[in-house]
Amino acid sequence: MQSTSTILSMLNEVLTTELTSINQYFLHARMYKNWGFNTLNDKCYKKSIMDMKQADKLIERILFLEGLPNLQRLGALSIGEHTVEMIKCDTGVQITQIEQMKTAIALCETEKDYVTRELLTEILEHEEEHLDWLETQDYQIQNMGIDKYLQAQL
Amino acid sequence: MFVCLCKGITDSDIQQLVLEHGVGSIRELKQHVALGSECGTCTKVAQMVIDNTIIDETLFKNVG
Repeated sequence: MQSTSTILSMLNEVLTTELTSINQYFLHARMYKNWGFNTLNDKCYKKSIMDMKQADKLIERILFLEGLPNLQRLGALSIGEHTVEMIKCDTGVQITQIEQMKTAIALCETEKDYVTRELLTEILEHEEEHLDWLETQDYQIQNMGIDKYLQAQL
Repeated sequence: MFVCLCKGITDSDIQQLVLEHGVGSIRELKQHVALGSECGTCTKVAQMVIDNTIIDETLFKNVG
């Protein structure tokens, strides 16, 4: 089934963000693991795998719409040096991605591509949940202090 | 935060070079570190770090 070029280029941009996000969370997960913060490792690892599944759905959708998924393009990673910075970097990435998803969903609406919209809405839901988790961590660090917070992540 | 992942250069490394060695551009920065020599993705962020570090009180004139 053919689609418009605007929908396809938007889907490729969303795919680029997802592919970048996979690497970002994978590296952060393994950095946490290296420092022994297993709770944080699990959370970031699962987020990375979730992004991989979302990227898979996007690739399938682009191919279905007779486009070519661009797996070559990758955005810049935002990697922190320590836990607080890593959470801050991830928050920044999530906020940008949520903005992008909202614009993409609005485009689906104007182009009347309701199936793509549903796919993107599902992704947006997961991204919002992760942003909420990041905000919770930030709140805990502010209130518990970084030492106690990190002790709880062992 | 890591600005250049290829060479492992952080924003604090760049800030230090700006403050201690008077680095003011990407070209000058490249004389000290190998930033942007592999994939080049980091140059935009590196420029931003330089710009944000240079901004200090002396740049603003008191017009009040």
